Amino acid sequence: MDTSKPAIFVNGGLLPMHVQKRVRIVIQVLGSDRGAVIGKSTDDHQLTVKGTPPSVPLTNFVEVIGIADSEKSIQAEIWTNFGDTFDTYSYNQLCQLANGEYQLLFL
Amino acid sequence: MAKMNLTEGAIAKITSGGAKAAELKPTLQVTELKQVHTKQPQQSDRFRLVLSDGSHLQQAMLGTQINHLVKDGNLRPCSVVQLIQYTCTTVQGRMIIIILELIVIVEECALIGHLVSAQKSLGPPQSFTNQPVNNSSNPQSFGSCSLSGGAVENPNLTVASLPNPRMNQLHSSSHSSNNDSVRHGATNVPPSHLKAEYGAGLPGAAPMNGSYSDQCAIFRNHRPEISQAPGTYFYSSRSVYQQPSPMYPNTGQVAKNDAPPKLMPISALNPYQGRWTIKARVTAKGELRHYNNPRGDGKVFSFDLLDSDGGEIKVTCFNAVADQFYHQIEGGKVYLISRGNLKPAQKNFNHLRNDLEVFLESTSIVQPCFEDDNVIPRQQFNFRSISEVEGMDNNNVVDIIGMVSSITPAASIMRKNGTETQKRILQLKDMSGRSVEFALWGSFCNAEGQRLQNMCDSGGFPFLAVKSGRVSDFNGKAVGTISTSQLFIDPDFPEARRLKEWFEKEGRNVPSLSISREMSSVGRADVPKTISQIKDERLGTSEKPDWVTVNATVIFIKADNFCYTACPLMSGDRPCNKKVTNNGDGKWSCEKCDQSMDECDYRYILQFQIQDHTSITWVTAFQESGEEIMGISAKDLNSLKYEKQDNESFSKIVRQVLFSKFVFKLKVKEETFSDEQRVKSTVVRAGKVNYSSQSKFLLDMMEKFKSGNSAPVASNTESTYPNSGANSIGIESSGRPCGPLGSNQVGNNGYIARKFGSLPSEVGQHGNQYSTKFPTSSLSLTAVVLLAIPQQIALVS
Repeated sequence: MDTSKPAIFVNGGLLPMHVQKRVRIVIQVLGSDRGAVIGKSTDDHQLTVKGTPPSVPLTNFVEVIGIADSEKSIQAEIWTNFGDTFDTYSYNQLCQLANGEYQLLFL
Repeated sequence: MAKMNLTEGAIAKITSGGAKAAELKPTLQVTELKQVHTKQPQQSDRFRLVLSDGSHLQQAMLGTQINHLVKDGNLRPCSVVQLIQYTCTTVQGRMIIIILELIVIVEECALIGHLVSAQKSLGPPQSFTNQPVNNSSNPQSFGSCSLSGGAVENPNLTVASLPNPRMNQLHSSSHSSNNDSVRHGATNVPPSHLKAEYGAGLPGAAPMNGSYSDQCAIFRNHRPEISQAPGTYFYSSRSVYQQPSPMYPNTGQVAKNDAPPKLMPISALNPYQGRWTIKARVTAKGELRHYNNPRGDGKVFSFDLLDSDGGEIKVTCFNAVADQFYHQIEGGKVYLISRGNLKPAQKNFNHLRNDLEVFLESTSIVQPCFEDDNVIPRQQFNFRSISEVEGMDNNNVVDIIGMVSSITPAASIMRKNGTETQKRILQLKDMSGRSVEFALWGSFCNAEGQRLQNMCDSGGFPFLAVKSGRVSDFNGKAVGTISTSQLFIDPDFPEARRLKEWFEKEGRNVPSLSISREMSSVGRADVPKTISQIKDERLGTSEKPDWVTVNATVIFIKADNFCYTACPLMSGDRPCNKKVTNNGDGKWSCEKCDQSMDECDYRYILQFQIQDHTSITWVTAFQESGEEIMGISAKDLNSLKYEKQDNESFSKIVRQVLFSKFVFKLKVKEETFSDEQRVKSTVVRAGKVNYSSQSKFLLDMMEKFKSGNSAPVASNTESTYPNSGANSIGIESSGRPCGPLGSNQVGNNGYIARKFGSLPSEVGQHGNQYSTKFPTSSLSLTAVVLLAIPQQIALVS
C-alpha cells in the first residue's frame, strides 16, 4: 500500500481545516453538474467534487481522495464506489477521532 | 481448699423477684448438673442445674451460649459459680433461673451448707439431690402443645422412682397455672404432678416436670378426669396424660392471666419461657404460599421480626393461622407478639441469626403497636465484605453491599423444572478490592434490575445493598438472589456512605480482583472477548466449557486433512458421523454401526488460525461452520483436490478465505492429550461481520473509555491488574503487521507506550461489553475502526 501520500479523513465540517492538503471523504452523490459531482458529506454539508469520475457508474456513496482546493470542493484523483448503503454515523465519528485526539495515528 | 462463701439468701431473693441480675450477682454452688436430651438433633444440648446458696436450692437452666463451660469441664456438679447475667422466669408454676452468663470460681468444692429445696422445705432435701434421674424417652405428647418449649424432652422422667414425700409439696401448692408461687420441683413424672395439682389426696404423685406450661393446660382440661383412687394414680395418670395431648385444642379456655405483657428482648427468648411478649418490627413479610407435600396440602406464611436490641427471629404460621395473620401483618410496622411456640429454627428456610423460630397458633396474639417510636430499626444488615464471601461455603446466606460496576441485560434461562426465568448478572465491587458476580433472578431482573441498568447506562455508579443473598460456587464464588432477598439501591446506611466515600477517593481507579469467573455462561450467551482473553482469563479450564464470541481474521488454513470420511448412516435422529475406514475394495466400514457402505460422507475438520488485534490462536471448525467459512462443501472441496487434482482451484478457494474476517462463536475447553493439558477452541458458528454495528460498538467503548479518563492518570503501570498482559500485548500489537495500517503504527511506538501507562487503572472499572478486563487501548480501537471501513472498499473493488 502506498503511504507516501497520506490522505486525511474529513467530513464537510473538517474540510476547511485541510485546504490544499490531500484528503479523503465519503460523500453521498446528489447529482452531477458540468463535470463535477455534487455530493453531501456525512455531516450534511454540500460539497463539489471536481475531476473525472471513473467510467463505471457511481453508486450512492462514493469515496473520493484528492486535494482540497477550497472549503467546499475537492479535486478528486481517486474515486471508489462504496455501494448504496453506508454507515454515515460511524464514518463521522471516525473523522472526528482522526482529526482530534488520535491524529497521530493517521498521519 | 478455702471455704467458699456463698451469697446467703440469694436464692430467695432471686426467686421472689427481689433481685435482678443487674444488681445481684450471687455466688452459688452447683449441686446438680444434668444434660437435657433434646428430640431434634439440631437443637443444641441444654443443661439443667440446681443452684444452692448454702441454704436453699433452685432449679436453673444454662443458656446455650455458655454450654461450652460444661463441655470443657469447667462447670461441673459442686462447682461454685457467680451468676453475672440471668433471668428468672416462672414456668408451670415453677421458678427457673435461666443463666446467660456466669463465672466459675471453683470447679470442685464440697457441698456447702445444709440444703433444702427453696420453695417448700418438705421432704428430705438430700434425697432430692441424690435422686437418680434418667433421661428416659418422653411420651410424644409433650411436644404437641402450643406453649411447650421446642422439642426438649422431659429430662429426668423417671417413672419408677417417686419418692412419696414429694407429692406433699405439690399438694400444698396452688392450683392456678403460671403464676404459682415459687415452687421447687424435682423433675419427675408429670402425670403424677397432674394429680397433685388438683389437690385430690394424692399418694404416689411426684413433683412435676416444670418445663412444660402445657401441663397446666392439660390438667385444666381434664380436671374432672383426675379424680381417681389414690392407689392407681401413678399408673393411670400416665394413660390419662397420654390422652389429653391430641385433644388439647389451642383454644385453652383457662383462667387467663391478663397481667400486662412483660416485654422481653428477642435474644432472650428460650423454649423454657412461659409467657413471653416481644415488640418488634416486621423487616420482611413473606408471601402466603401454598404447598403440597407428601403429608398433604397447606398454606404457609412467614415474616421476620427485628427488635430494638437488634435481635431477629422468624415467625411462621400454617393454614388457618396463616390466613388469620396474613392480612394483619404489614411490612415495616411494629407489633406485639405473644403466645407463640418457640421451636428450633430450620436453617434451610431461616437465614436469621437465631436458633429459634416462632410458630403462631390461633391463640397467639398479634397486636399492632401504634406508637412507633423508631427505636426499632427498619432493617438490620450484617454486611460482609466481598473478600469474606470468597471464603464462604456454598449456600451460605449473606448480606453484602457494593458498587455496581456493570450489569447485563436480562436473559431468559431455562430452569431445571422446565420453566423459564429471567437472569441478570451484575458486578459488585467493594472496599476489599474484590468484586463478585451477583445474579438477579426472576422479578428482581425487571424491577431493580432495570433500574440499575438505567443508572449504569447513563454513566452512574449505583450502590446496591443486598439482604439475604445466597453464595454459590458457580464460576468461582458468586452471589445470587433468593425469594427472601431484598435489594436496596443507593441506600442511606452508614455502610453505604462509607462505601461511597471510598469509591470517590480511591475505588474508582482501583481495579478489583473478581472472585467470580468473569465468564458468565448465562445460557450460552455471546460474550464478546478478544483472543488474548482466552489465554489470560484461562477460559475453558474450569469443569465446563466456556462459550465466547470473537471477531477475528482467518490467518492461516491447514490445507491437509481438512475433512474426513464419515459414516452417513443414521443413528437415532442424527447421522453417525464416525470416521469410516476404507475396506480396500471400494467400500467403507463404520465401527460403530458395524456396517459397510459404498459411499461415505465427507465432513470438515478444518484447522486454522485466527487473529485479532490482541492475539492469535488455532481453532477447529467442523462441518457446518467449515462450510460457512470455506463457502464450499467438504465433499466438493475434497473432490477438487484429490479426485480432480485441481490444485489451482483449490488454492484459489483457500486464498479467498484467508484474511477474511468473521464473527466466531467459540467453545473453549481444556483437554488432556497424553499428559498434556491444552485449551482447544472449536468454532460453533462463523458469521459475517456486521461492520456497522461493530463500529458502533467500538465507538461506544471508546466513549466509555474516554469518560473514565476524568480521574487522574494513575501511576501504577505495574498494578495488580488481572490482565496485566495488556501492557505487553498492546505494545506488541503495534509492531505486528496489522493489516493496512502496519506502517503507520510502527512509527508511533512511543506514543502508544505512553498512552498505555494509564490503562490498567481505568479499564478496570468499566462494565463495558468486553467485561471489565478488556485489554485494549483506544489506539488499537481506532485502528480496528479504521480497519472496518477499508474492508468495505476491499470488498467492493
